[in-house]
Amino acid sequence: MAAVGVASAEQYNYDIVRKFTIMALVWGAVGMLAGVYVASELAWPFLNFDVAYITFGRLRPVHTSAVIFGFGGSALFATSYYVVQRTCQTRLFSDGMASFTFWGWQAIIVLAAISYMLGYSQSREYAEMEWPIDILIEIVWVAYLIVFVATIMKRRQPHIYVANWFYLSFILATALLHTFNNLAVPVSLFSMKSYSLFAGTQDAMTQWWYGHNAVGFFLTAAFLGMMYYFVPKQAGRPIYSYRLSIVHFWALSFLYMWVGAHHLHWTALPDWTSTLAATFSIMLLLPSWGGMINGIMTLSGAWDKLRTDPIMRFMIVALSFYGMSTFEGPMMSLKDVNALSHYTDWTVGHVHSGALGWVAMITFGSLYHLIPKLWDTRMYSEKLIGIHFWLATIGVLLYITAMWISGIMQGLMWRAFDDFGNLQYSFVESVAAMHPFYAMRAIGGMFFLTGMLLMIFNAFMTISRANRNVSVAVLNPARAAAA
Amino acid sequence: MSQQKTQMAQTTGHVWDDDLQEYSNPLPSWWLIGFYASVIMALIYWMIYPAWPVGKHFTTGFNTVTYVNDKGQEKTWHWNTRAQLMKDMNEAQKMQKPYFDKVAAMSFADIARDPELTNFVNSAGKALFADNCAACHQSGGQGKPGFFPNLTDDDWLYGGTYANIQESITKGRHGYMPAFKEVLNATQLDELANYVASLSGEKADAAKAKAGDALFHSETAACYYCHGNDAKGRQQIGSANLTDKIWLWADVPGQGTPEKKVEAIRTVIANGLNRGVMPAWEDRLKPEQIKLLTAYVHGLGGGK
Repeated sequence: MAAVGVASAEQYNYDIVRKFTIMALVWGAVGMLAGVYVASELAWPFLNFDVAYITFGRLRPVHTSAVIFGFGGSALFATSYYVVQRTCQTRLFSDGMASFTFWGWQAIIVLAAISYMLGYSQSREYAEMEWPIDILIEIVWVAYLIVFVATIMKRRQPHIYVANWFYLSFILATALLHTFNNLAVPVSLFSMKSYSLFAGTQDAMTQWWYGHNAVGFFLTAAFLGMMYYFVPKQAGRPIYSYRLSIVHFWALSFLYMWVGAHHLHWTALPDWTSTLAATFSIMLLLPSWGGMINGIMTLSGAWDKLRTDPIMRFMIVALSFYGMSTFEGPMMSLKDVNALSHYTDWTVGHVHSGALGWVAMITFGSLYHLIPKLWDTRMYSEKLIGIHFWLATIGVLLYITAMWISGIMQGLMWRAFDDFGNLQYSFVESVAAMHPFYAMRAIGGMFFLTGMLLMIFNAFMTISRANRNVSVAVLNPARAAAA
Repeated sequence: MSQQKTQMAQTTGHVWDDDLQEYSNPLPSWWLIGFYASVIMALIYWMIYPAWPVGKHFTTGFNTVTYVNDKGQEKTWHWNTRAQLMKDMNEAQKMQKPYFDKVAAMSFADIARDPELTNFVNSAGKALFADNCAACHQSGGQGKPGFFPNLTDDDWLYGGTYANIQESITKGRHGYMPAFKEVLNATQLDELANYVASLSGEKADAAKAKAGDALFHSETAACYYCHGNDAKGRQQIGSANLTDKIWLWADVPGQGTPEKKVEAIRTVIANGLNRGVMPAWEDRLKPEQIKLLTAYVHGLGGGK
């Protein structure tokens, strides 16, 4: 067993995968803690403590950047570097460049978080980083692209595995989106402040073209890549349909680029743009489901594993939430539904059913599969994985249920008229009505965070035990062999 | 079934990473039908709504919206969000209009006597007040000591008649008191503060209050110019009545000890005031909305 470990350590660069895996766990805890805190601030505003650095407006981007780019991003770097090596049967193109992407990416998250708390923000959702950080992202991302593409080019396999298509489309699209959404003119060379190159509606359009494709390529395509490797590996079964994977890959890539404007229904955006975004969103439903079908059908015939394998449970629940939120999204993009849902907590709930239910759950499942492989051992506790699964599932359900109720209630209260044709409720009454659901949401987040902390404990015990065994094997080969 | 099984068994023949394979199953037919159906749905949507840009214009779609514009003319336009908003607003305005017309035409006294119209004032006033006034005067109009006056008591800085309230909302108000630390020394400020406290029966040092009384009516401090000889204030200029137990700027009721109460008064005298600003609403609300708000605020409890 040790011999295999040594051989793959030489054949593949696991060091970089381990580093990113650990940071995914760290950022997961940091980002979810920030999330629980800002959710609690909304429910109990005294938690702002009149300290500017930790007010909701500054801490919220810390939460989103830490979970999306810190947790999600590190998990994607880790799994993509692992998957591309194993499915191309070759070592990563450049250890040095890979290492640069690691340190660069971690620096970006730290700098972003500090700058937000100091009050620097581009005020572009999920792209709040100011221009110096944007430039650093650009450089790190190009290095990532080079490492990934060069590794594929020197593959020892005739065919490129489906997971790699998804990872590559994610890397390419993110480069494109990041570049164009952050075209801005700094106030001066030594100022953090910059102004967007676009104005008014065009600026909003650009931002949401970026924003929704960040969802589409960063949080969907890339995690589908993760799914396409770890689900068949964990289930020990082939992917259900090669053809479906091709068709839904291209349909997804083509259609996603059009739909960002559905975030701007009922605004100054031209109506035709709004219509196109709505209709492409509808057409996106089945291509999105292609990935879910391929994942779930891969499992058919291995359903019994759900009873015994908590990792499989994470994956199947992730796919279910993916299917649900990709159904909900197109519905919310219809103008009439959007008239009710826009600006309400329903949107927040929708995002989290995707982010917690799909992105985080598939990541948990994949990392639980990956960690023992990386350290050549077994997980410290299967039982803790099972408990994590239930904590996470209950957390998501509490969260999205709270936001559905709160969001639909807000939408209905804002549009309610009395018998005289007067607005029935003032805005502040809708705020007061949301309070119990804000508390419920914060509690849901606490469940989810607790699960994340359990995972870190489990991973820490696994890794430290593995390291102890390695030192035993080195110092006392006879005893290790006997064991 | 057995044929399906053999189909399931066929893979593409590629193997990655020891055991990763792919079946060559066809696309599920329900998936394909669903996808085509969503494309057809998009085509229908494009025919109904504005959809594709063509040169400098765009395809408008068959759907139309009929609405009444600001000038009362009926218009029909291809479907668009602006027209849809106008149409939705028309419906609410159609219900409101007869009532607003009555509010505009009738006297305040007549409005107050008409139960149906009073219901309307309370219904429309609630939302208008919440969206325009409550940010300062608080949701029930109770105000905030040290910042914004209470509208529910019968003490009015600028008068509580319908005309006074309407004037306040329409033109706004700007309360001002000079900072007396520039002309008075610490002893004098202390004496004045004790006198003002004594005016409404608060515990004060009798000797100091007596000296303060003299200062109040002297040309040195000249407090009586604005607050009047009887210290009951003058509503024409918005100066406060100092003899009732109602406090706005100095939070006297909120202080625990007599010393702190006097200190709160002293601070206001010393530093003066230049923050009692209420914006004018004449450019933001229509005259009938201001009139309705006037009746609503008058009805909050303290109108005269």
